[in-house]
Amino acid sequence: MIAAALSRIGAISRKEFIHIRRDPRMLIAVLIVPIVQLLLFSYAISFDVKNVPTVVLDQDMTSASRAYLQTYRSSDFFAVRGSIDELAGVDDAFQRNLAEVAVVVPPGFGRALARGEKPQVAVLVDGTEPNSAQLGQAYAIALNQLYSNEVLVEWADRQGLDTTQLGRLEPRVRTWYNPERKSADFLIPGLMVVIIMIVTVQQTAVTLVRERDLGTQEQMMVSPLRLPELMLAKLLPWTLLAFVDMMVIALVGLGFFQIPLRGSVGFLAVAAAFFVFASLGLGLIISALAPSMESANIIALLVAFLPAFILSGFAFPLESIPRLLQAVSYLFPARYMVIISRGVFLKGAGSAELWPQLALLAGYSILVIVIASVLYGRKAAR
Amino acid sequence: MNPKRVRLLMWKEFLQLRRDPLLLRLMFLMPVMQLVMMGYVVGADVKNLSAAVVDLDRTVTSRRLTDSFASSGYFNITQRPAKEADLRPLLDRSEVKVALVIPEGTEARVSAGGAAPVGIIVDGSDSRIASVGSGYASQLISAFNAQRLAEQGLVLAGPGIDARVRVEYNPSLRAVNSMIPGLIATILILSMATIMSQAVVRERERGTLEQMFVTPISRGDYLVGKLTPYMLIGIAQMSIVAIVGRLWFRVPFNGQIWVVVLGLFLFMLTTVALGLFISLVSHTRQQAQQTVMFIMLPFMVLSGFIFPVASMPSVAQYLTYLIPLRYAIEIMRGTFIEGAGVRELIFQLLALALFSVALLGSAVFSFHKRLSD
Repeated sequence: MIAAALSRIGAISRKEFIHIRRDPRMLIAVLIVPIVQLLLFSYAISFDVKNVPTVVLDQDMTSASRAYLQTYRSSDFFAVRGSIDELAGVDDAFQRNLAEVAVVVPPGFGRALARGEKPQVAVLVDGTEPNSAQLGQAYAIALNQLYSNEVLVEWADRQGLDTTQLGRLEPRVRTWYNPERKSADFLIPGLMVVIIMIVTVQQTAVTLVRERDLGTQEQMMVSPLRLPELMLAKLLPWTLLAFVDMMVIALVGLGFFQIPLRGSVGFLAVAAAFFVFASLGLGLIISALAPSMESANIIALLVAFLPAFILSGFAFPLESIPRLLQAVSYLFPARYMVIISRGVFLKGAGSAELWPQLALLAGYSILVIVIASVLYGRKAAR
Repeated sequence: MNPKRVRLLMWKEFLQLRRDPLLLRLMFLMPVMQLVMMGYVVGADVKNLSAAVVDLDRTVTSRRLTDSFASSGYFNITQRPAKEADLRPLLDRSEVKVALVIPEGTEARVSAGGAAPVGIIVDGSDSRIASVGSGYASQLISAFNAQRLAEQGLVLAGPGIDARVRVEYNPSLRAVNSMIPGLIATILILSMATIMSQAVVRERERGTLEQMFVTPISRGDYLVGKLTPYMLIGIAQMSIVAIVGRLWFRVPFNGQIWVVVLGLFLFMLTTVALGLFISLVSHTRQQAQQTVMFIMLPFMVLSGFIFPVASMPSVAQYLTYLIPLRYAIEIMRGTFIEGAGVRELIFQLLALALFSVALLGSAVFSFHKRLSD
């Protein structure tokens, strides 16, 4: 009984493998493309805003203004790309995307400072890129306050004033888990999840639709093959491929990008298995619901690509988004897996910290596969 | 070209689209979903980061610093562990993303006129949180210092710098203001590449393409009749994004409408060419879909739509010049936000014109050649 079931599952799996082998482009899509994506993303994406292109306009040309502008030159955040001679040049530099920040020191800056006054300085930030603009604003304010403080201390010293009133707090920022803020460390653990999700959902979403389109579905229906067996057999080859994908990405990450792996590989593998099942199940649900291949493709794009990319927390913090969307983000397995993957790779976390995510993922994967079977059964019965 | 035949072909295409009502609905769901995702998630300003405060000082100064963090809106203080060692499990479980550690003796050190270090710990597994969190925290601490000085009265007497930091073009710093103009261009390429290429490949897959060519329909008629309905759908999708963006997200528009139309027209030709190319290299719809995914990812990543081009390494920055979407997004953002005109955007417009002529020309040429084989 069981032996017969196993042999049927084996036969369908073999058939799927033959399908895959027949289409070498599919193999390329599944095995090579993820690596290309990994390289591309790891090099191109960086949220660590620094070296923001800056231009300066020094209308004062005194040693004081030069000393002030030097603080921008020596900061990590601003990269002074050049000087301009007139105010109109600021707009020009912004609109041609040559600079995102402009510092304007008006004439009389040095004299006013020497007299003990507070000369005005304009720092203009291009708001077209709101994220870097916001940081630019924050850093400019901090830099000016720090410099003001230095000037004040110097002045108080010269006046022989008591400087004990000038105590201040000094921020010492430590970045845990990734002290050098390497973008590969930030990205690869999350990216792995996104890529696997895209590949698996996309591929399984069309498998059942294609059988229907080609009319091979009826042939299978008249065979002794049972529904759960079909589902399992359809999932097996893709599970294997997804695992190979995951391993390749992890190896490239560890070997080439030198990302750390601080937690247990076993725990990661178990979580990955559930995650792969969950995404494949999601693909099968789409496949059972979609009336045509075009629709299946677009649903897959909407369900796999967008949420995996945007609602997984891989690149965009989910704490600032509206509550309703936060709730929606729990409907996709990527969210749990991103936390697990980051925890294991970077934080050295294991089952003690991450069991809630693992449990949710396990429950999720069983649920989607059951739903997929029921939906498919209902569709086939009609 | 025969206008009657073209009209009939377009009619056939619309009929076919109507056969799959789900597809049509999805095509209009797509811009809406993207608007929600981009507007509310990608466009969300990072704030309310869950934070922990370890106050080992327990003085007026430390409490005031904690309050300034709590009331800033950037941080949401959810945990107050008693010692620094308790932070590790909190960050390990991702319960907090940022931590503020005020060491013992902070007030004493500040009152003595020294610099008292304050620890800020950010979760380095999330790059956005790490950079934004530390930026906000540094700003809050320097604001705290400035306020303290002002209370001492010294700042009024002594020199200082009165820095006026002003954000140009987008003073409210709303991320949606730059997200939605970019989305208008992005949605066009997404739907052209996915839907149009599928439609052309389907005809080939089913053999209806050959049937078409034994009729008096010329190849030019076929292309125009086939492509126009999808271009109309693309225009409808873009209009949805633009209208929802203007009315719901209140995105300001500072430029000239004709520059936008010109830019989008050139870009549309480019995307049509791209769709044709995809259908040329694909024999089945599944292959077409894979090709789309393969092309779309670099487009999304390298166009500057989500990830700013300026913070990419220089090699990647050179690659972005090959992505037509980059120019389209620069034109959209330039006109919407900066009110830039043709003079400022001439480089982008010329680049798109070049892309559209070269790509469309060679796509149509090789399509003809392919069909006559």
